[in-house]
Amino acid sequence: MVHALREATRVLTKSGILINVRPLTAPLEVAVVTAAETVWAKTIQLFSAPEDVAAAETAAREAVSRGWFVLQTSHPFAFEIHCDTVDELRTYVEARKLRGDGIPYDALQKHQRERSNGEAARLRCRRPWMLSTYSKT
Amino acid sequence: MAIMPTEIDPAGAMPRAILNAADLRTARVLEIGAADGRLTFQYTAHTGPVVGIDTKEPDIRAAAQHAARKPDGNVRFLCASATALPFSAEQFEAVLFASSL
Repeated sequence: MVHALREATRVLTKSGILINVRPLTAPLEVAVVTAAETVWAKTIQLFSAPEDVAAAETAAREAVSRGWFVLQTSHPFAFEIHCDTVDELRTYVEARKLRGDGIPYDALQKHQRERSNGEAARLRCRRPWMLSTYSKT
Repeated sequence: MAIMPTEIDPAGAMPRAILNAADLRTARVLEIGAADGRLTFQYTAHTGPVVGIDTKEPDIRAAAQHAARKPDGNVRFLCASATALPFSAEQFEAVLFASSL
């Protein structure tokens, strides 16, 4: 990762900016939602692989300590996916290799079915992410 | 109920955060880990020329095919590694890592 940051500083112009967007090690929220409201929601202790997050943070810190970049700003934001079925949600989550508690697929399906009497109820997964900007020194 | 496919970031939170973070209107942007260009195509209308790279050739091929159908020609994709970028020095005003560091 440090090698990638070294390459980034090489190809950036003198006043160039590096933008790093990454998921935070924080709980995610799953919910059953309609266009009008959140029908049911639960916070789950499920995270991106902690060692990957830590390695990325270490690389960014090293790039700063080596004098390649200066941290400018960091802004959290919510990243969402919306699905129609628990199978779609399961496919998405499994592809991300998240770790921690399991997602309550049965409860999601139950609440979705209870609400879906002619009204579209979808499944929403919301994860906190962080965008950081660095200027090339 | 009509079935819709999985929607990733339907509100466009990530491209909005990127475009709010820096003035990229004329910036040459390198996106590292662009995959199939899902994110790339959401911000290229608001930046200078964009190059997306990834080591996954099928994804990059799909992104390149999509880019070929875009009329503005503002984006291109290459199969390349972040640790050996096939560019000379000081070619970009912005480098973006979107969950790829």
